[in-house]
Amino acid sequence: MREHEQNKVTCDEFEEYLSDYIENALPSGLRAVLSEHAMVCPLCHSLLNDVKQAVQVCHELEAPDSQMAGLEAKILTATMPESAMDCDEFEEYLTDYLDGFLPAVLFHRWERHALLCDSCSNLPGAVVRSLAACYTFKVEELEIPAGLNAKILEATLGTSEASSLKAPTAARFAEWIRGLRFPVSAPQLAPVAMMLLMVFLVFLQSGNQSIGGIYQKGFELAGETYRKGADAVLGGGQEESGPRPTANQGNGGQ
Amino acid sequence: MEALTLEQNDSGEELVRRCRTGDGAAWEEIVSTFSRRIFNLAYRFTSSVEAAEDLTQEVFVRIYNTLDQFDPKHGNLANWLMRLARNRIIDDYRHRQRNPQNSMADAVDDHTYHLRAVGTSAQKELERRELCVQVQEGIDKLPNDLKTCVILRDIEELSYREIVEILDIPEGTVKSRINRGRIELAKILRRMRVVEI
Repeated sequence: MREHEQNKVTCDEFEEYLSDYIENALPSGLRAVLSEHAMVCPLCHSLLNDVKQAVQVCHELEAPDSQMAGLEAKILTATMPESAMDCDEFEEYLTDYLDGFLPAVLFHRWERHALLCDSCSNLPGAVVRSLAACYTFKVEELEIPAGLNAKILEATLGTSEASSLKAPTAARFAEWIRGLRFPVSAPQLAPVAMMLLMVFLVFLQSGNQSIGGIYQKGFELAGETYRKGADAVLGGGQEESGPRPTANQGNGGQ
Repeated sequence: MEALTLEQNDSGEELVRRCRTGDGAAWEEIVSTFSRRIFNLAYRFTSSVEAAEDLTQEVFVRIYNTLDQFDPKHGNLANWLMRLARNRIIDDYRHRQRNPQNSMADAVDDHTYHLRAVGTSAQKELERRELCVQVQEGIDKLPNDLKTCVILRDIEELSYREIVEILDIPEGTVKSRINRGRIELAKILRRMRVVEI
C-alpha cells in the first residue's frame, strides 16, 4: 500500500477494492486514487466496466413481481391453510371485489385464490368483458317495427291521426279547474271555518234572522253567560230576588 | 329535441294535463317519445319482435287508461311510465315462464331481426350487431330469476333499491342474484366465444 499512500495503487489492490468502489463505500481519498488508476490502466478500466455491466444484468434478472406474488400466495396457503378461499366463496365475492367493496382481509384472500386457482383466475376478466358486452347491447337499441306507434294510437284513441283530435272546451275548462291551486292550505283554513260556523249558529239563534238580530242575540248570550258566572260566585241567591239583565240593559241592570 | 326535453327534464305534468282533456297531439308525443324504449325493454325479456310489439301496445293502453293516476309530486312522467312498463313486462315474463308455449318457436327468426335492422354495411357496425345478438342469446340462457336481475341492473341500470321495489324480494337476494347472474352470463358468453380469455 506504499503506492497507495503515494497516491498510487497496484492492479491487485484495484481488484481488491473494486466491489467497494462500485458500491461507493470507500473514503473519498482512496476512491480518487482508484479512479486515477482506472484512467491510466486499460486492463483495470476494462475490468471495472465488465463488473459494472454484470451487476446491472443481475439486477435486471430479479424475479418479476407477479411471480413473487404467486410464490407469496403459495407460501401463505401452505402455512395458513385456514385463510384459503374456496371457489364458491370466490364467486360469491366477485361483484363486491369489482365494485371495490371487499374488506381488506377478504380482499387479500380473494386475490390469493385468483392467483392460485386455474379455473377461477380468468373469471374476473370474463365478467368485466361480459359487462362491457351488456353495455354495447344496451346502447344498441332496436328501431321500433314500422307502424307500431300508429297501432298504439289506434288502440288508445281509435285513430292514428292523433293530431286531428282537439281537446273540447268543456274538458279543457274542467281540467283547468282541477289544476287550480289555492294559496292557503287546508289546515290554515280551519280557524276561519270555525268562526264562520259560530256566526252561523248565532244567526240561527237570532229571532228575526237579520244582521241587527245577530247583534241582539249576541248581547243576550253575553248577558246570560255573565249572569251564570255571577250566580256561581254569589251562590245563586240572586236568581230569585234580582231581575235578570236584558240585552238592552246589559251589565247596567245589575 | 322536444322529445329529449320531455324524457330528461320535464316532469310531463303539462303534457298529461293536455292528454286528460283529450288532446291527441299530446298523447302522440308521449307515444313517440317512449315507444322505442319500452319496445326494447319488452324485446329483452321476450326475445320475440312480435311478442314485444304486442306487449308494448298493451303497456301503452294501460298507461292511457291510468293517466289520471299520474301525480307529478311522486316523480316525473318518464319514471312513472317506465315503472308501469317494467312491472307489466316482468309480470308478462313470469306468466310466460309458468305457462311455456311457443316461447322459443320463432326465436331464431327473431334473433336475425337484429341483423336485418342494420342500417349500414360497415364491418364494425355488423360486428356490434352480431355481438348484441349473442348477448341476447346469452341472457336468454340464464335462469329466470337471474335473467330478470341482470336485465334490470346491467341493461336498465336500476339501483338495488329500485329492483327490490319492483321484484318485492330482500336486498340481499337481489345482490346475490345479480352476482350469480353476472358470473353465469360471463361463463355462457365465454363458451359462445363472445368473451375471449
